[in-house]
Amino acid sequence: LINEWLLCTLELFSRNSFIASKPDPSKPNMLRVGLAFGSTAVLWALLFKQHRTDVHEYKTRNGLE
Amino acid sequence: MGLLPDEAKVLPPPGIVNRNSVWFGLCGWATAMLHNSLNRRPALKAGVHRQALFTTVGWFIGYHLTKYENYKYATLDRDMNEYMRLHPEQFPEKEPKTFAEIVEPFHPIR
Repeated sequence: LINEWLLCTLELFSRNSFIASKPDPSKPNMLRVGLAFGSTAVLWALLFKQHRTDVHEYKTRNGLE
Repeated sequence: MGLLPDEAKVLPPPGIVNRNSVWFGLCGWATAMLHNSLNRRPALKAGVHRQALFTTVGWFIGYHLTKYENYKYATLDRDMNEYMRLHPEQFPEKEPKTFAEIVEPFHPIR
């Protein structure tokens, strides 16, 4: 099982013509898709957190709240 | 804030939706769609995860760029106002003129 996973990953990043294959759109690399969506969510969360901190800092420093 | 000093926190922060964010977000989305097109995939329907990620990265960069821009303009304004305060002789108050005094007389030729 572990060997299959290792082989899949190796196939993605190898240029060996014996085991290389064309990228197949009908079999998406779910790891990459998951990482992309995950980092998207993380970035949005970071953005909203930073904005909230900035608004709070601004209000505190100008004595508005 | 990485590039901004502590005094920049006095400024009002930009909204989540701001000009630079929207522009960079759209640029990111266009990059993802171009990537799709150049790899002969349907531009809009393929690689949605890529489109989302690129748009988000652009939006994020745009927000921080807006903050940096606001700080830079605020420092420029502060320096300008300080200079004007220290050299009042170079900025005399002028009496406002009405349009009647400025405009040349009108001689209609009908």
